[in-house]
Amino acid sequence: MSNAQIEIQLIASLVAIACAIPGTFLVLRKMAMISDAISHSILPGIVVGFFITQDLNSPLLILLAALTGVITVVLVEYIQKTGLVKEDTAIGLVFPVLFSIGVLMIAKKANDVHLDIDAVLVGELALAPFDRLIISGVDVGPKSLWIIGGILLVTIGLLIAFFKELKLSTFDKGLAASLGFSPAIIHYGLMSVSSVTTVGAFDAVGAILVVALMIAPAATAYLLTTDLKKMLLLSIVFGVFSAISGYWFAHWLDASIAGSITTMLGVLFLMVYLFAPSKGIIAVMYREKQQRTEVSLLTFLLHLKNHDEEAERHVNHLNEHINWQKVRSKTVLDLALKNNMIVINNAIVSLTSKGNEFTTQAIDYIITNEDAQIEDMKDDFFLFRG
Amino acid sequence: MTKIAVQVDDLTVAYNYKPVLWDIDLEIPEGVLMAIVGPNGAGKSTLIKSILGILKPIAGSVTIYGKSYEKQRSLVAYVPQKGSVDWDFPTTALDVVMMGTYGSLGWIKRPRQKEKKAALEALEKVGMLPFKNRQISQLSGGQQQRIFLARALVQDASIYFMDEPFQGVDATTEIAIINILKELRKAGKTVIVVHHDLQTVPEYFDWVTFLNVKKIATGPVKDIFNDDNLTKTYGINYKVSIQE
Repeated sequence: MSNAQIEIQLIASLVAIACAIPGTFLVLRKMAMISDAISHSILPGIVVGFFITQDLNSPLLILLAALTGVITVVLVEYIQKTGLVKEDTAIGLVFPVLFSIGVLMIAKKANDVHLDIDAVLVGELALAPFDRLIISGVDVGPKSLWIIGGILLVTIGLLIAFFKELKLSTFDKGLAASLGFSPAIIHYGLMSVSSVTTVGAFDAVGAILVVALMIAPAATAYLLTTDLKKMLLLSIVFGVFSAISGYWFAHWLDASIAGSITTMLGVLFLMVYLFAPSKGIIAVMYREKQQRTEVSLLTFLLHLKNHDEEAERHVNHLNEHINWQKVRSKTVLDLALKNNMIVINNAIVSLTSKGNEFTTQAIDYIITNEDAQIEDMKDDFFLFRG
Repeated sequence: MTKIAVQVDDLTVAYNYKPVLWDIDLEIPEGVLMAIVGPNGAGKSTLIKSILGILKPIAGSVTIYGKSYEKQRSLVAYVPQKGSVDWDFPTTALDVVMMGTYGSLGWIKRPRQKEKKAALEALEKVGMLPFKNRQISQLSGGQQQRIFLARALVQDASIYFMDEPFQGVDATTEIAIINILKELRKAGKTVIVVHHDLQTVPEYFDWVTFLNVKKIATGPVKDIFNDDNLTKTYGINYKVSIQE
């Protein structure tokens, strides 16, 4: 690997981490579309900043552009507050206007500089290593590496300091307000971090893909865990994995790096969506099938419990009594036998004491939804997991 | 004369310049278990939220034991409506209860062993200890409500505000919750509950406030819970059908 290759992967990974952290909270706050709005509407901020500083990596430009991002959020909320349109409409109204202003400004003024529409949309990660930061004659690495690294450090610092506050206000705004943690301060803090991160990542991955890096890793992680810290960690892992694998995918295809990274994010999400252990589609389908069998089993056991008369418990009569098809009766009968819930004597089915106790407990639980004993059964039975 | 726990003076609250609460004056004495009743849209939740500083009134003031809410936060616990949060949020029952300790911790400081212990005790009180590590979406409606109650208990406050704690819970949970509320009153706490079921008011509460945009009446249940006030509040000819 050449130095430039390592640098590109490093920048992409840092961008992915810096995006995954605010992205996790945006997903949990159901504000994914706001990141789309921010990433587009910072364009006029970048262009104006560029006219002033003539340097795409100037901190002043980053702050100016981030300010445009926060203004977008304020505008969206203002329009929404009038009650005339809903939030998604307000977002759809605000960011295209700001983005177009940026596009027009580039077309009129910035034609001859290194700022074009393609770069704005998908970034130019491949060129990042060429713009070096030179401090007193020493080359310390690409400028964008330092910028995104700096932004990431600040983001991690804020996350560690305000994790508790972020969690509380994301889960329960009302309680946060009543306890004195102003949800507005936390909201605009998160919006500012998202805006600054977006601007920092913009140069590398562009307006469209920055959204993917914020939302996709978090959405993927959400399917895999029920713990906020793990969700953050997984988002970061997925982001970095997509950044590096995306780079090599692009290398192999000889295509856009940012495009390949996003493709990787999509593939990763699809995989998890299909195969996640509890929320994945396949797991859900398996669980539903299993639940169907368990409900059948319980229905069958309850029937046995409720009927003393042998005619009702004859193997050959089960089908007509419970009104099931043969295959299903067979599956259920085998399952009950295997678990020692029933015994069959002279073709008459009876509950064992284990089966009897289980049925009582299970029915009781389903009615009251409350029984500490059933907690142990939850590992074996999907039925009781709610 | 008992102390006044909560005093509301000339409170007017509006959404988009449309007042939902008009000129409310209310004194809640210390140590009562009070129901706020009124029809939908009467401003019951709004009243609680305004007292707690979550909504900004356009006029009037609120004091908690004579001082502003901002100064008395630590004395007050709040149970929002269960439906106001996303129960798919990636967290556990214990973690939600721990959130009750955040107020006393203040900004930046993290909960530690002491806070965890308090949260476990609160879970025990509401009978939810076996579910402490359960993801909150895996709890039934009644269990979720108990978690919210435990989160308020962990604050160890003097005044408890609860927004419809009996909404969507089963009978067992309702009894468990009301028993805890009665215990709180016995311990000298003040409990204020937005309540919907008029039938249970005389049985559960000793104090009641009738609200319908304006305050209709407030006082001891035995004195003011009558047809006259119910009719004034609900606008229809109301007959109290509970005789025991």
